[in-house]
Amino acid sequence: MARRGERRPPVQVERISMLVEKGELAPPAALASFRQTGTPLAVSSTAGTDSPLEKALANLDRLVGLKEVKQLVHEIKAFIEIQQRRAQEGLATEPLTLHMIFKGNPGTGKTTVARILGCIFKELGVLSKGHLVEVERADLVGEYIGHTAQKTREQIRKALGGILFVDEAYSLARGGEKDFGKESIDCLVKAMEDHRDDLVLILAGYREEMDYFLQTNPGLRSRFPIRIDFPDYTLDELLEIAQIFLAERDYYLSVSAREELMRQLQVAHNLRHSGNARLVRNIIERAIRRQAVRLSGQKNLSRDQLMIIERVDLEGGAAA
Amino acid sequence: MKECLIVGKTHAGKTMFALNFAHYLGVTNLEITFRHPSGLVGSKTYSISAARRELVGAAPHTTRALQSITLDLPVGKGSKRCLFTDTSGLVDHIHADVEIRRAIAQTLGAIREADLILHLIDAAAVGLQDAPSALGEVDYQVAQFAQMRTGYAMLANKMDLPGASVGLARLRQEFPGHTILPISALYKRGFREVKAFVQRYL
Repeated sequence: MARRGERRPPVQVERISMLVEKGELAPPAALASFRQTGTPLAVSSTAGTDSPLEKALANLDRLVGLKEVKQLVHEIKAFIEIQQRRAQEGLATEPLTLHMIFKGNPGTGKTTVARILGCIFKELGVLSKGHLVEVERADLVGEYIGHTAQKTREQIRKALGGILFVDEAYSLARGGEKDFGKESIDCLVKAMEDHRDDLVLILAGYREEMDYFLQTNPGLRSRFPIRIDFPDYTLDELLEIAQIFLAERDYYLSVSAREELMRQLQVAHNLRHSGNARLVRNIIERAIRRQAVRLSGQKNLSRDQLMIIERVDLEGGAAA
Repeated sequence: MKECLIVGKTHAGKTMFALNFAHYLGVTNLEITFRHPSGLVGSKTYSISAARRELVGAAPHTTRALQSITLDLPVGKGSKRCLFTDTSGLVDHIHADVEIRRAIAQTLGAIREADLILHLIDAAAVGLQDAPSALGEVDYQVAQFAQMRTGYAMLANKMDLPGASVGLARLRQEFPGHTILPISALYKRGFREVKAFVQRYL
């Protein structure tokens, strides 16, 4: 019989189900952990690792999907390590050019990966600070002649020692000959060369627009050796994201709520540019708020009631 | 509406029990809602014989989704609705097929949320080691888990087969203090007791 009145760590119900699904846990063991409410099962995979580098890599590996991205990051890491070892031995080393192009729809993990890369580069000694400065066209392009260079340089100065992440970078090239966006690009290119060893520039944006942007600026193409594609998440991956998201917050979905979530994701998935993780987060956050409204005012709430997200909490979530 | 979950190892006779129990309660056209592990939901109406033909199989893991039927049970002078949900069979080990693992994960999730649990055990296979429906670790775990809640009964199925009475005796010995009802899902025996048990918790 379970001991009552004792404080226990939260149950990671969804997590346990996921382990069963992945074939890492046998059904009897899953039931046993349901019963002993709260044996933390592989919840904090980063707990055992202490170095920030391993932590950053573990964070990256925990992201759902993004197989290609993960592999590339591991390649870059290995490359940097070997280059450093070669330098110690006095062998010729390749200069590290780590400027990158990220292509993908919104909410496919571009910023998240950039942030993690910052940590990794810092730990590997490539960057001194490893922070991420996120900018868009409005932060770089000025309103009058001479203003643009000033603004762009200001952002570059802020990003020195870290990563300058230009979101929707293709917008710098639109607007024709007289647009100040071109001036900003020139300024960025110069900074890339000048601060080669302490600045990483990442240009991000939609796939088609970025491809066009690079085609029309051949000079840029050669300066960005690393190009990463961020594919849209599949329906299964979105559901997994939702489950991880809920498990981190000590909530879980009832069976019918899971069905409702699946339906909403399916609907959203059929629309272009919406198969993304941000949509999942919005739906879940809204459901958590609605669960709170549903429960508030009730007395004698059980632990399970506080944790479970019901179907009614999710209804109408996709419209938001 | 309360949900009554039918669980047990694979090939214990869960689907046969669900269909015949519905028939026993006077339902002839079954409207079955299928909830697949992927989240897809569908529903189909069967006659009893068609349902038996399509949903019951001799091979293990015939059921791969939650299959629910709404049943009306007489309670007092009126009746109460109850959702009877048939589940995918459990196994002791980690199954190699990802589809089946997914279905099992769904079953486990449903076990946590059900109001009432009917746990089917193949009484004829209790002593057998290699039968898929033999009494296993997962049965003990279900029993222990369900002990924490009120509505739980063990149904010793296949009482029509030889050797089942020995199995039933062994079950009574292994699970003292649990409600164990001997039934034969195929021949609709022992259903009166099951009905009485369910009515008590509605």
